Amino acid sequence: MDIFLQQLVNGLTIGSLYALVALGYTMVYGVMKLINFAHGDLVALSAFVGLTIYTQVFGEGITSLIAVITVFMFTAAVIAVVGVLLERLAYRPLRTAPRLSAVVSALGAGLVIQNAIMLIWGPNMMIFPSNLFPSTIWNFNGIVITFTQLMILGLSSVLMVGLYFFINRTKMGTAIRATAIDQDAAKLMGINVNKIIMIIFIIGSSLGAVAGLFIGIYYRGVTFDMGWMYGLNAFVAAIIGGIGNIPGAMFGGLMLGLFNALISGYISSSWAETFTFVLLIVVLIFRPTGILGEKVAEKV
Amino acid sequence: MKNISKNSMIAFGLLAIMGVFPFFANSAWIAIGTTFLVFSAVAFSQDIILGRAGAFHMGHAAFFGIGAYTTAILNVHFGWPILATWAPAVIIPVVIALLVTGPIIHLRGDYLLVATIGINIVFIQILENDLFGLTGGPNGIFGIEVIKVFGFEFFEQIHMYYLAFILLGITLFIMKSLDSSKFGRAMFYINKDDIAAQSMGISIRYYKLYAFAIGAGIAGAAGSMFAVQYSAVSPEAFNVLQSIMFFTIVLVGGSASLPGVLIGTFVMFILPEIFREFETARYLVFGVAMILTMILRPRGIWPVKFGNIPSFLKKDVK
Amino acid sequence: MSEYLLEIKNVSKFFYGLTAIDALSLKVKQGQIYGIIGPNGAGKTTLFNCITGIYTPEEGEILWKGKDIKGTPPHKIAELGILRTFQTIRLFAEMSVAENIMSGRHIKSKQKWYNGLIPTPAYYKDERENWEKVGELMEFFGLSQYATTPAGDLSYGVQRKIEMARALAAEPELLILDEPAAGLNENETIELAKTIREIRERGVTIMMIEHDMEMVMSLTEYITVINFGAKISAGVPAFVQDDPIVVEAYIGSDDEDE
Repeated sequence: MDIFLQQLVNGLTIGSLYALVALGYTMVYGVMKLINFAHGDLVALSAFVGLTIYTQVFGEGITSLIAVITVFMFTAAVIAVVGVLLERLAYRPLRTAPRLSAVVSALGAGLVIQNAIMLIWGPNMMIFPSNLFPSTIWNFNGIVITFTQLMILGLSSVLMVGLYFFINRTKMGTAIRATAIDQDAAKLMGINVNKIIMIIFIIGSSLGAVAGLFIGIYYRGVTFDMGWMYGLNAFVAAIIGGIGNIPGAMFGGLMLGLFNALISGYISSSWAETFTFVLLIVVLIFRPTGILGEKVAEKV
Repeated sequence: MKNISKNSMIAFGLLAIMGVFPFFANSAWIAIGTTFLVFSAVAFSQDIILGRAGAFHMGHAAFFGIGAYTTAILNVHFGWPILATWAPAVIIPVVIALLVTGPIIHLRGDYLLVATIGINIVFIQILENDLFGLTGGPNGIFGIEVIKVFGFEFFEQIHMYYLAFILLGITLFIMKSLDSSKFGRAMFYINKDDIAAQSMGISIRYYKLYAFAIGAGIAGAAGSMFAVQYSAVSPEAFNVLQSIMFFTIVLVGGSASLPGVLIGTFVMFILPEIFREFETARYLVFGVAMILTMILRPRGIWPVKFGNIPSFLKKDVK
Repeated sequence: MSEYLLEIKNVSKFFYGLTAIDALSLKVKQGQIYGIIGPNGAGKTTLFNCITGIYTPEEGEILWKGKDIKGTPPHKIAELGILRTFQTIRLFAEMSVAENIMSGRHIKSKQKWYNGLIPTPAYYKDERENWEKVGELMEFFGLSQYATTPAGDLSYGVQRKIEMARALAAEPELLILDEPAAGLNENETIELAKTIREIRERGVTIMMIEHDMEMVMSLTEYITVINFGAKISAGVPAFVQDDPIVVEAYIGSDDEDE
């Protein structure tokens, strides 16, 4: 039971990170029907940018709320700008092209970001400072929760609930949903589709940036090519939840995180990805559009 | 027909150049040439699935790897001569392809894409975890023998080159047969409009599986050759990055276009070899090139031309 | 065997709880030209999609020569001899006209699975015969000059002909035409009516949805009128034309503005 509860905590932590990244995929997919393969690399970029801001501006060894807030805000801003540039340069020119052309462009963009990280920060693993967050640990009868985990769970929840309300309760959110359903109709209703897509990239990239920073703080070691695996897991989570569906991405992320943690706890972490894809296939066989995805009838 | 014959002439011209290439190159270049031929065959087999049948398949390195590991395991662990491993290196990938894609073949577009990435990732985990105690884990398998026929050993680089050349020749022969048969056409029909194709009596499932089977068979043969060329196999040669490469080759070169896929292979595999001295920055440039190619030529560098019909039907064409 | 080629018995189809087809029944005789009319959104195309296996109706039976074919996948329906055209033209746009028509020969081709890898003498003969058939159809529809042209580059009227040629290439027993005259000019429509009669002379039964009343009334032998998914009238053209229920259905809708 202890293992189970401990893996529950660990699983929800990693699941929150998947969910934050999955939101970026699902929002872009919802509006553009494009797998943004570069999104995972943006997450990795965020960890390196955050690391640099923290060590250069504040110097290692400083633990302060101001430092943390500054690092998160600046990093999110930088990644959001990169995300918007990505859309402008690599995706917008291909909006009317065959769908797979945009996929190749996204793969190319991912390669560019990944190798830019390598050229700037080098090919070796970099270690995140340990004192960004206090090293407080709570122990409940053998079940350990760290301050970092609590922060990840807390901030992710706040961001996700905030996003949910933004999408469902504001005018802009309605415009985003309308654009996702039918871009042409949205255009005719006076919605500026380019602006909507820009906002989606700003939100998605910022959420990815937060996830990237948390990955650095939680796992400490960051590498230039780590974005691929986080990205793929998050994308799988988005599909499991129902791609294009915002609560689906949150649900899928948490579910996959828990699933991974339980597999690692009870079976073996070296088979984690295999089980991830088995789960994906099983979900798709029974729910072809994901767990929270809507059924789509094809019009003939 | 004009375009087709022009395309064929250029393709044959390229083949002729490749045929005499070893006489003008040193052994390092012959090795690169061999890799080009093997990867071209794999790229064509990817094109059957992606470019023709239109199945978003991003796990092709798995089938390439299954062929390579079949030869490696049978030769190193069971002492089979390389020649005897050729048939299993084709048949096993075909059978596995049918078994693993069977349950997911109905998935649409991006869902299939992610599921096929999954096939590749599961394959790599099986190799690295050494599931059956046969794959040698992360290090792979070393010491694969050379090909021996009647006491003659194919040990020189140039021998491998011409074997790979024959492999590519057979692959092109299959591509041509496919293009001018109901099977190749059926793939195009389901690719272009699956509902119309079904209404003409074409089973989507059958022809997509057919494409996967042939694609996996050719990739397996190429994998066997790849294993012998390097006399070793290891997981990283068959990971998802390689699958992404094969996927990209087809789309950058031009889906379903024979010269396009050859150009794609050259651009994606051989150019990085040539620019090795720019080591660190080359993949950055490469990524930019991928984006630019798609923006400037969304259908690939050399897009396919349809109209492959007998000449007697063209008598009224003005 | 039934005296009817196709019998629809109490077929219902629902989408998300909405009734698209409501307990519809009709019978098509061998050799008939059968018309289906009704306002837009009445469920006509949905009915065709049910017959051709694209949708599976929740209730009722679809009898083909007396055998229930409900739930049979579309490619098997085509093999039975039921071929169709589409209201929104669905050609393989980038492929040549000849290749488009060749798709209809698919089920007639006798090539073996290994002919995708290697040609055999039987393959060459089969391939030749099928292309010849394509050639005949191109001549019949006056498409020979476009043999190598990508189908998507041609005008609406020509594309409709290609769709019919493609369906006919499969040598159907029942040809289902979904608004074949939509988008055609007057001359093309007259030509189309002539072509449809010629096709029937070859022994093909025809079922068609059409909004062009003049054409439907002169061409068809029996008509079923559908509104809100249900049959509201049926009979010979002269009867249907004067049926007050039909007249009201058409006046009551703001349809027929094309």
